[in-house]
Amino acid sequence: MGAIWVYSEDIAITRQLLALGRSLAEKARPVIAVAINGSDASGLIESGADKVLAIQGHNPQPESYADAIADLAAKEAPDMIFVGATLQGKDLAAKVAARLKAGLVSEAIAVRLADGGLETERLMYGGMAVATETVTLPAIVTIPPQAYEPLPPEAGKSGEVIAVNAATDDRVTVKAVHTFQREGGDITAADVIVCIGRGFAKREDIKIAEELAAALNGEVGCTRGVAEDYHWLPDSRYIGLSGQKVKPSLYLSLGVSGQVQHVAGIRDAKLIVAVNTDENAPIFAAADYGIVGDLYEVAPLLTEALQKAAAPGKIAG
Amino acid sequence: MLNIIVCYKWVLDEQDIKVNPERLDLDTSRAKYKISDYDKNALEEAVLLAEKYGGKVSALTFGPEGAKQSLKDALSRGPERAFIVKDNLALTADAFVTANVLAAAIRRIGEYDLILCGEGAADTYAQQVGPRLAALLGIPGITFVNSIGLDSGQLLATRKLKSCTQETAAPLPALVTVLPEINQPRIPSLKQVLGAAKKPVTEISLASLELAAEDLVPRVRLKALKGYAMNRKHIIFGGAAPAEAVAKLVASLGKEGVI
Repeated sequence: MGAIWVYSEDIAITRQLLALGRSLAEKARPVIAVAINGSDASGLIESGADKVLAIQGHNPQPESYADAIADLAAKEAPDMIFVGATLQGKDLAAKVAARLKAGLVSEAIAVRLADGGLETERLMYGGMAVATETVTLPAIVTIPPQAYEPLPPEAGKSGEVIAVNAATDDRVTVKAVHTFQREGGDITAADVIVCIGRGFAKREDIKIAEELAAALNGEVGCTRGVAEDYHWLPDSRYIGLSGQKVKPSLYLSLGVSGQVQHVAGIRDAKLIVAVNTDENAPIFAAADYGIVGDLYEVAPLLTEALQKAAAPGKIAG
Repeated sequence: MLNIIVCYKWVLDEQDIKVNPERLDLDTSRAKYKISDYDKNALEEAVLLAEKYGGKVSALTFGPEGAKQSLKDALSRGPERAFIVKDNLALTADAFVTANVLAAAIRRIGEYDLILCGEGAADTYAQQVGPRLAALLGIPGITFVNSIGLDSGQLLATRKLKSCTQETAAPLPALVTVLPEINQPRIPSLKQVLGAAKKPVTEISLASLELAAEDLVPRVRLKALKGYAMNRKHIIFGGAAPAEAVAKLVASLGKEGVI
């Protein structure tokens, strides 16, 4: 029976994938962690791997190992390869899949064994639908980070660590790397989010949202367009299918139209509130409460009302 | 002179799809087709690069019968010519099959320096075909790019990853997948729309690509598609008095216990 391989350039995700691998591994199916230039092979054994393929090469870019991993996989014939769905992981997985002539499911939200292959679930149409798909073996599946809890480490567990020297594809060279500065709090952990959409006319007006967020003790987020087209807020603040998925108690949007890709990112919010001038904006279909109105009028009134409600001594009675 | 091929997909406009809240099936009866949004950025970037460095842009799509309607829109966005592999196999093709077909079509088209794809398709958003194509064609593939330039025949591309940007360089020919932020796709003018009708379109039959039967068998097959419905309250306050609506909202939020 072919093995299950797991790989991510992020070792924390590799541990999560090992938990998935173990849950799918029947008795005769080994779970093998693939690590590139990693140092903690024994830690991966303790986290559930039967064996570690420790690939060594001189190129720091994981994608440059696509051919090497495909060659190894062609030789060892694993039945399944689970790859962490980071951007680089998705790139690598697609290149390996092409070389192996294998099926690849991107960002599966569920994986199970079925009829001698795999059955997976993933989002379609911007998050509007869930597609159940079957994949023939050998199958490659990318898995979003944090989808599985890593197994508690089993101290002293032994397993084989096989060092593999790999040739890399060095045609793409990285000339410079610019690391993003982190700004503000972590929006994925925020309990209240005020979200800015294209209804805002200019950058300075963000303060209207910031004041409302302050009154609610929350964070400011935005749509993809506000981050990527307007560059008003960093990418780490945009909410949606390809951005952050958030799960606050309260999500309150101002001037957000509510494209399906954005709504896919707020699905797990306990309460969704929308303010938009257009009563037909799709965000209202996704909202618990809404106000059809101009955010420039509504948001300051709301801020004021919340401040009054919070001020001691002003409560009637 | 740069020979650029842009691959695009003709997809259902997901913004017009409705989910039946009881049965959770999808109502696509009112949805029109469109060129996948991210591919519009790829088309635009190809045309901008050709304008800047001199070159020729070809558009390529693999789609079912209806995809023929996309050609005029694609050509009105600036490419000089278009190629279509029209076959209903596209309806069940996974990224494995699609990449095989596109790679064979690209080999048929012949010379190229640069291949551009969007970051993913608007319907499946699987983000596979670009990097798969690069691997099949044996050329460098650079994904998630928000800026492209050329320097002494070398491709310069800035990739945007989660926590950093990478300035990369690669020899041509190469393949790049572009992020939406790379440009603002044009809205074709009437002149461009009319001009598109005169541009050459070549239909490449699937059979003529002589792909092995095995390369046309999808590895991933759709078993079921279910709409995602959220149970929300849909209580909307409107009317002429914003202060009143705000008061009602604050009262509701208080009852919900979130303020």
